Amino acid sequence: MKAIFIAYDQAHQENVMEVLSRMNIKGYTMFEQVMGAGTKTGDPHLGSHAWPTMNSAIITIVPDERAVTLMERLHELDANNEMLGLRAFQWNVEKEI
Amino acid sequence: MSLYEGAVRRPIMTSLVFTAVIIFGLFSLMKLPIDLYPDIDTNTIMVFTYYNGASAEDVENNLTRPLENTLNSVEHLKHVTSNSKDGVSVVTLEFEYGYDIDNLTNNVRDKLDMVSNSLPADANTPIIFKFSTDMIPILLLSVQAQESQKALYKILDDNVANPLARIDGVGTVSIIGAPEREINVYMDPVKMEAYNLSAAQVASAIAAENQNATNGTVDIGTLTYTVRTEGEFDDSRQINDIVVASNGDGKVYVKDVARVVDDVEERAQQTYTNGRQGGLVIIQKQSGANSVAISNAVMEQLPELRKNLPSDVNLNVMVNTSDNIMNTIHSLTETISYAMLFVVIVVFLFLGRWRATLIITITIPMSLIASFIYLYATGGSLNMISLSCLSIAIGNVVDDAIVVLENVTTHIERGSDPKQAAIHGTNEVAISVIASTLTMIAVFFPLTMVSGMSGVLFKQLGWMMCIIMTISTSSALSFTPMLCSQMLKLQKKQSKLFKTIYRPIQKMLDGLDNVYERMINWAVRHRWTIILASVLFFIASIYIMKIVGIKSEYFPANDNGRVSCTIELPIGSRKEKAKEVADELAYKWMKRYGKDLRACNFTIGQAGDNNTFASLQSNGSHIISFNLNYVPSNERDKGLVVICDELREDCKKIPEIAKYRVQLGGGNSNMGGQSMATFEIYGYDLTETMNVAETLSAKLAENPMVGQTNISRSDYVPELVINFDRDKLAKLNLTMSAASASVRNLITGSLMSFYREDGEEYDIKVRYEPDARTSVDNILDMLIPTQSGNVRVRDIATIEESAIPPTIERKDRQRITTVTAVLKDGYALSDGVEYGRSIYENMDIPAGITVQVAGSYEDQMDSNRDLGTLGILIIILVFIVMAAQFESLTYPFIIMLSVPFAFSGIILALCLTGTNLNIMSMLGGIMLIGIVVKNGIVLIDYTQLLRERGYGLIRSAVAAARSRLRPILMTTLTTILGMVPMAVGQGVGAEMWRPLGVSVIGGLTASTILTLIYVPSMFCIFGSNGIKNNRRKMRKQRELDAYWKEHKAEETFKKSKKKQKHSTDTTAPAE
Repeated sequence: MKAIFIAYDQAHQENVMEVLSRMNIKGYTMFEQVMGAGTKTGDPHLGSHAWPTMNSAIITIVPDERAVTLMERLHELDANNEMLGLRAFQWNVEKEI
Repeated sequence: MSLYEGAVRRPIMTSLVFTAVIIFGLFSLMKLPIDLYPDIDTNTIMVFTYYNGASAEDVENNLTRPLENTLNSVEHLKHVTSNSKDGVSVVTLEFEYGYDIDNLTNNVRDKLDMVSNSLPADANTPIIFKFSTDMIPILLLSVQAQESQKALYKILDDNVANPLARIDGVGTVSIIGAPEREINVYMDPVKMEAYNLSAAQVASAIAAENQNATNGTVDIGTLTYTVRTEGEFDDSRQINDIVVASNGDGKVYVKDVARVVDDVEERAQQTYTNGRQGGLVIIQKQSGANSVAISNAVMEQLPELRKNLPSDVNLNVMVNTSDNIMNTIHSLTETISYAMLFVVIVVFLFLGRWRATLIITITIPMSLIASFIYLYATGGSLNMISLSCLSIAIGNVVDDAIVVLENVTTHIERGSDPKQAAIHGTNEVAISVIASTLTMIAVFFPLTMVSGMSGVLFKQLGWMMCIIMTISTSSALSFTPMLCSQMLKLQKKQSKLFKTIYRPIQKMLDGLDNVYERMINWAVRHRWTIILASVLFFIASIYIMKIVGIKSEYFPANDNGRVSCTIELPIGSRKEKAKEVADELAYKWMKRYGKDLRACNFTIGQAGDNNTFASLQSNGSHIISFNLNYVPSNERDKGLVVICDELREDCKKIPEIAKYRVQLGGGNSNMGGQSMATFEIYGYDLTETMNVAETLSAKLAENPMVGQTNISRSDYVPELVINFDRDKLAKLNLTMSAASASVRNLITGSLMSFYREDGEEYDIKVRYEPDARTSVDNILDMLIPTQSGNVRVRDIATIEESAIPPTIERKDRQRITTVTAVLKDGYALSDGVEYGRSIYENMDIPAGITVQVAGSYEDQMDSNRDLGTLGILIIILVFIVMAAQFESLTYPFIIMLSVPFAFSGIILALCLTGTNLNIMSMLGGIMLIGIVVKNGIVLIDYTQLLRERGYGLIRSAVAAARSRLRPILMTTLTTILGMVPMAVGQGVGAEMWRPLGVSVIGGLTASTILTLIYVPSMFCIFGSNGIKNNRRKMRKQRELDAYWKEHKAEETFKKSKKKQKHSTDTTAPAE
């Protein structure tokens, strides 16, 4: 099992949800409003006067084989709309109850 | 879920809600009455008190003074003026605007009850009369007749006046120029004397014969009969055969001593229209009724009425006040549609997107239409103010929508889905959209609190603008994002046609951006030069105003195509002479103005006793009243003001004319007339005040800028006074009143009976032959009946010639005479007032007499003061809104400093176009406070944003300026172009709102150009000061820290030492 953390511009909300549902990923945890800034590129999403946009974030735990496709699809989504910004990070799940 | 999120997620609901608003708006629009001005409540109450037999001075002392003293304490009273004439006192109470007239009337009634006991016993009870604009006739119908002239009154009364009076909303219908039928019994004094008869005998004989009576009922068989005597005449000729006196067989019939003439009343007015005699039908509306609706109803009925008139009677509309209203409204509607078109073009040029432009085009009318609901709900009307308000609003309502649209577009271009872009894009700008609306409301809301005459106009404007702005903001935050989410999409490919059209525009705009960026780059590096230049510009504009001189007036003259003109020949001139002069003028004017003059009507002669409309106006054998009606202002070359000046010149040239008063607009409104400088002369001595008034008037008339001068006090009227000898009267057992009544009966005639025919009643008047009352001797020869036979006037009285003292006018409990000077076209009220002031200040004015400026100049000063206070209030409110938004006092201060440039712009625009400074241009100035700061807000807000993003001071100023240039230009251009149709309009009534358009365009252009350069420089000055201050603070802190590090031990020691000392000090007293 892999844990995937997706942080994205709020405007991506529907696209991300679509990717998840297409892949039949039912379980996830979502943070609707989170702040964040990228290390290299992209505008910060701070909900402030200077940087008014905000991010959302999703953590989803998926089987290993699906994690690969999910990451691919998310990368595709990001590549299509570079200006918005979407980042996904994947790590191992060691235990689950 | 926020408002915009809800709106975007539920597009059907949102669009239907707004469709419902539009439907309600259009429904209200259909129901809205049309008028020229908003409803102006009556603020005047008149108190009439009749006191028969008292002279003007008696009336003043015994009636007017006690009344004035008591009524003076009524609440909200502005001025109390009075007229004391022979036998009547008229006290006019003018109240502050905006109070319920019914309450005021009740207060006045209470005060009258208090004073009624102290009034002279012979005086009648005071009558309260509310004067309102409703008294002004809304329609004048001219009638031309030939054979039917003599019967014209009856024809018009039956066939025109009565049917019209039945129309809903029509108040009174009066007929002028058509004398009423009257049966005149003219007695021959010689024959009367020969038969030893008195006039009273003849009159009472006729009255006694002319009677029907019921004598009771009798039962005959099974029936009950009513017994009646029928003595009323069936034919006026029957009067001839009435026996006046009999002596045995000898009978004296009326025909033996008198002549019965079945004709028209002796003293009657004659009316001529376009050279032909006829009559005038005057229609007044009921209080509160809508004039346009009524005139339409009347116009509909006219063809029907014409059918019933004899073929020689022509019935035409001479003046229809609703024509002017409709034309004005029509040209304003045109103005609004042009403004809308310009705004749409600007939006397209700047946004370069069909869909975005379409969204804006949908949202503009929506906010405007929604405001009709407000008008309908509050009982308002479609008038010049509410429509100009729409025209002003067009440029502003797009602003909110544009800001939202622009941000949503940015989001879409970044790759957001339109729905998401609409929600988040709106979210980001919601606060600043609301803040900018608040600044507009801060400007317009105080307008609703203006009092006085200008308040009547501004109240509606203020409310309308507040409501339109609120609606436009709520639609920008809900309807616009919804439309964006549905209609906008990322344009991946543009059509060829679009590219060819739009590419040059795009290039030009880019070029403009570059030029501007370079300019700002220079400006922020030479910021003190820029500030200095701006200040110099402001000072220069003030100098220009001083040199060129801006003319001020109260209200622009409204060209409704009507002129009324009252011409007085020397008092006592006969009607025939008046007719001659009137004919000459009418011919001259009809020839000169040709087609421009639709109708030229004049009335001469003295009105009968029972003509209500005519008795309200001045009339007399020596007075001519002209009513000229011209074609609408856009169909003729000459303005009405110029025409009025020409008419005055003509009157001046005729030596027979003693006085003339040419009134622009037919005198139907105190707004929109010509500039009149009014001077009030207070003083008790009638002769001395008259002397001052005459000198002032004569000197004023010498100046070429004065077209006419008028003195309010009328001339002394010549009179013949019969002085009866009381002793002789007593010997003859006569009373003074009986003797004077006898003479009155012989001259005016006694009215003891009526002749009835077809349900109408006509007066039967018994008096001497006209020939027998043409000289003083005739009067002296008149016979007065006594118990011991008739006696001649000459035996018991003397007659002397004198003059009746004029009407005594008072204002605020002091005697007053007013001198009015009407200024020619192109001269401003301020000049006239200045000139007048210089005259009376150099005059030798007797002690006890004071002269002061009043009238519309006083109103102007009042409203200037009001507007000044308002301006300050608005500036404070706007400052508060901005300070709250920026959470800073510096930025609002920078922005507020750009307001003076708007005033420079107004000054320059007024000077360039030669427009006068009046209430409309000042209104423009006040509005500008709100519009101008908007640009500053946008600029500062974005610069601040860039600073927060970590840009350097200069770089953020330059980058922000470049990026905000287009939005600023776009919103400014929409406002300016929205005003252009107003400023250059040539339609009917355009002269009223032109000053508004000119001042807004001038002020906004100048302030925008300067704001674009000045604000970045100012921002840098304050910003670098801020940086320097910060650095200084940090340096001090650093130095302090360094010092602390070094001297820590020492300082702590000092402190502990101090502490020790302190503790010993405090413990000391305990020991």
